[in-house]
Amino acid sequence: MSDQALEKGQARCPGEPSTQEIIARDRVKAPQWVTSESYQFMGDEDVSVDRYIDADYAQKEYDRLWSRTWQFACREEHIPEVGDYYVYDIGKHSFIVTRTAEDQVKAYYNACMHRGTKLRPSGTEGSATVFRCPFHGWTWNVDGTMKEVLCDWDFPHVNKSEFSLPEARVELLAGFVFINMDKDAPSLAEYFGPEAMSHIEQWGLEDRYIVAHVSKIIPANWKLTMEAFMEAYHVLETHPQVSVSNADANSQYDTYGDHVNRFISSLGVVSPHHRGRYSEQDVLDQFTVGDASVLEGADRTLKEGETARQRMADMMREMFSKAADTDLSKVSDAELLDCFSYTVFPNTFLFPGISLPMVYRFRPVADDHRKCYYEVFFMHPVPANGERPEPACEEHLTEHQSFCEAPSMNDGFGAILDQDTENLLLQQQGLEASAKPGITLGNYQEIRIRHFEQTVDKYVNS
Amino acid sequence: MTKEFQRFCAVDAVPANGKKAGRVNGTPVLVVNTKGKLFAVSAVCSHQEKFLTAGRVRNCRITCPLHGAQFNLETGEAMCLPATKPIATYEVRVVDDWIEVAV
Ligand code: FES
Ligand SMILES: [Fe+2]
Repeated sequence: MSDQALEKGQARCPGEPSTQEIIARDRVKAPQWVTSESYQFMGDEDVSVDRYIDADYAQKEYDRLWSRTWQFACREEHIPEVGDYYVYDIGKHSFIVTRTAEDQVKAYYNACMHRGTKLRPSGTEGSATVFRCPFHGWTWNVDGTMKEVLCDWDFPHVNKSEFSLPEARVELLAGFVFINMDKDAPSLAEYFGPEAMSHIEQWGLEDRYIVAHVSKIIPANWKLTMEAFMEAYHVLETHPQVSVSNADANSQYDTYGDHVNRFISSLGVVSPHHRGRYSEQDVLDQFTVGDASVLEGADRTLKEGETARQRMADMMREMFSKAADTDLSKVSDAELLDCFSYTVFPNTFLFPGISLPMVYRFRPVADDHRKCYYEVFFMHPVPANGERPEPACEEHLTEHQSFCEAPSMNDGFGAILDQDTENLLLQQQGLEASAKPGITLGNYQEIRIRHFEQTVDKYVNS
Repeated sequence: MTKEFQRFCAVDAVPANGKKAGRVNGTPVLVVNTKGKLFAVSAVCSHQEKFLTAGRVRNCRITCPLHGAQFNLETGEAMCLPATKPIATYEVRVVDDWIEVAV
């Protein structure tokens, strides 16, 4: 076997074009952030299951991981005006993220300095001229300085200048508000590293807005749930309806420093699993996109020598330009078509593509390491007239509802998310029932999971 | 007592994304123009009797500016703590360039 001559992690789907070879044939060429590769072999040992099934491990994550990492708290568009605020919770922690000046956002620990009452309810947003505690009325200015204590004659020991609301750190990037509880954490730029930062800065996500926001409780550990989205290896078994036109076994996987990884999964080409069984015309016929309605009525007959992928890219360029009222003439075929999935440690996915324009966020449910709160944001470009629509409000689904039940969810995409999450309870329970103390990972296709868990280990063990 | 529509203010006084508070028979009423529609609700929060007038309106909800309770403008339903009770909602209509409210 010639494969045995390869170093560990160097094997790729045999006899198939790489993602880069697929993209290199496109008419409108892809930018450097798409055409680069950054895979590294990171070992092939099993990954211990305690991280998924042990409540003590979850507590260590609160103490050492959530308390020291940069987290996407809200979008800037949630808080456009001074005094607008958004409450971000992680476990028992809660923060009031508020705009204190046109170019300044702060995050206050959401607890009264008197007897502790939350100043704003969790899961809400709004606008404030002051933050006033509902219990006895202690009041803070929007900038966090203390304004008022009722009967201050009774509190001679309260020095107002020492009673400003404590703050977490805040950094703004690409329209996202990131917060970090750790005063000693690296800056956001150091945390992502130069390569990943340059990718994020090229996407222009600051010029998108939240057109839909769907959330659901998933009955599995937050990391297990995230990992269901980190590889295309599951597509053949889990998503048979889309597997024909997805370069699944030849998707590309990359890691950047400790905190960012990605895959590129090309669409509009026949899957290696289906090679020889489908023509280019078949691929085109069964191709669907996140929002299939944009393709209704399109001519789907290929000319001699024309590829399904090129036709799809051309069609989507036209349809999405119209639908979003934006100029996409210079956007590459790959960015229009392909699935670009980035994990930003610890709990966010960014999808900078055009046809699959999502952001995912995952958070453990406080007090239950076997449940997580999964949010899907769909991000559309701000219309050409520059008027930013209000961000969509959250549509919350319970554990047993289908994603298709959310009013703003496209049925085809909702069905994919259902498939992605329906197996998770079985996986959670299976790990708890298993005789095997670790999970086993593929060297290439599952590198994002290994990379992610190694970073989890770095935080939890230090 | 049957509810009768009464003049509240001129239509121009509540433009798109605007709101206006006033009293009708002594009852504080807030008229809100959002999403192309007029809504009339109690101007007082059901939580601790603060005025909702300066509250932010988004997605057909108003947020109490002081303690953050939220209410559905259409039904008056309390959407989050610290409020647990709804606020009153009133019928509203436009007649001859006047906004009228039935309280
Ligand atoms: S607990 Fe906040 S004022 Fe007393
Ligand atoms: Fe999937």
